[in-house]
Amino acid sequence: MKRYFTIFKISLQQEFVYRLNFIMWRVRNVIQIFLIFFLWDSIFSAPNRVLFGYDRAKILTYVLGILVIKAIVFSSRTVDVSGEISSGALTNYLLKPVNYFYYWLTRDLSSKLLNLGFAVIEFGILFIILKPSFFLQTDFLVLLAFFISLAIAIFLFFLILFITSFIPFWAPELAWGAQFIVIVIISEFLSGALFLLDILPKAFHEALYLTPFPYLLFFPLEIYLGKIAGLRIVRGIIISLLWSLVLWILMKSIWFRGLKVYRAEGR
Amino acid sequence: MTTRRILYYLKIWWLMSKNSFLMFLVQKEAFAIFLFGKILRFGFFISFLYFLLSGSKTLAGYNTEQTIFFFLTFNLVDTISQFLYREVYRFRPLIVSGNFDLVLTKPVNALFRSLAGGADVIDLLMIPPLIAAICFLGIKISPNFLLIVSFVALVLNGLLIATAFHIAVLSLGIITLEVDHTVMIYRDLLNLGRFPIDIYREPLRGILTYLVPIAIMITLPAKALIGLASLKGILVAFLIGSISFFVSVRLWNFALKKYTSASS
Repeated sequence: MKRYFTIFKISLQQEFVYRLNFIMWRVRNVIQIFLIFFLWDSIFSAPNRVLFGYDRAKILTYVLGILVIKAIVFSSRTVDVSGEISSGALTNYLLKPVNYFYYWLTRDLSSKLLNLGFAVIEFGILFIILKPSFFLQTDFLVLLAFFISLAIAIFLFFLILFITSFIPFWAPELAWGAQFIVIVIISEFLSGALFLLDILPKAFHEALYLTPFPYLLFFPLEIYLGKIAGLRIVRGIIISLLWSLVLWILMKSIWFRGLKVYRAEGR
Repeated sequence: MTTRRILYYLKIWWLMSKNSFLMFLVQKEAFAIFLFGKILRFGFFISFLYFLLSGSKTLAGYNTEQTIFFFLTFNLVDTISQFLYREVYRFRPLIVSGNFDLVLTKPVNALFRSLAGGADVIDLLMIPPLIAAICFLGIKISPNFLLIVSFVALVLNGLLIATAFHIAVLSLGIITLEVDHTVMIYRDLLNLGRFPIDIYREPLRGILTYLVPIAIMITLPAKALIGLASLKGILVAFLIGSISFFVSVRLWNFALKKYTSASS
């Protein structure tokens, strides 16, 4: 445990080495939020409008929630794994007495902590500038379910990212291409990070709930906003846990197969 | 610039683009994945936009067709500028390694080489369907000839501003050694033009019109076709386009003097 705590500390310090890069990354996140905020602000310009089951306060809370949840779920260092496999740098880790998955999970957590800190500050600044209507959830059980769903979301994204990062075992030149499709496009759209999933036709919406993507962002926010309750929360948590299990087994299986074909090219 | 000089640069551009295309096509799988990814992202966005407007009916007063037209115009300007100026994304290693010396010593304008030295074939493939979609939707808006001419002229003006942005990114790259995030911030700002600029509140709307003229690059051409742009607005757009280009070239000349050739 101590070694992972050390990795956590070193990883946090590494984030500060390229400070300008980090600050620019955060600036980009804020700019992206502007697009979504003003899109929904414009649609809900009439104060009493209710659309797709949301009122103005809930939709603007959803948008600001994206900023924080994205910082927690989507910020990750695991994105570097594919590059390490294709460059052969993975060998260094295989020789060290650390579990490769725990190593990256620890690095992810340090990145999330830093991003969360900045996201909270940005949230405060945006709140002061934009003065949005805000929905504050006070029900303890709902908040508990929200935090559980958030923990599952972190793990799910970690697994999806890891599985995608294994493609270079077989096709080193496809490292960035695979991440571009799975992480940048599919996760972004199907998690609700850009558009509410409620705008989709009911059949699409229901089908999407059988995939892992809505559980990354949309599901936790739905819980926080009180849009779903009781059995629907339980059902969602069970499905996301099942996905975590399936993806964990899949990840392990691909990892061992990948190691058999790994040739440490470039080393 | 003489006709002979223009032909000389066209020939160089063609040679550089051909090399760039061949490099892309060597990696067929990666090429297919990126092309598929771009089509998928475009398809997702159009679909979500359609479903959103099916519920809300309008966005800042624009109907579904008009809103999608704004999005297509954004894509046209964005895709053409990415097709032409993809080399900007590869500029930083040249500066950091000092290999930019090799560009400076060749009998080709260094700005031209750094800006347009590696056209992107994936974006090239996206342009014809985009133009077809714009024509298809544009016809439904029923513009007259004058409005079509205004639209085309303003899109070209938008590309001139995009050129200015890319030159500014290159210049800042020489001065600060930072290109990747600067160009991505430019892309994020440009993304604010996916929807009509009318959705933004002041002072952001003013900033996006005059300071970072995304509105002039994207919203104004689309508004011109719909018939909502004033003559004064169009003239101001051309003025801003010319000033942006002029300032960016001055910035480039200034940045070149700061190049230290470190590491070479």
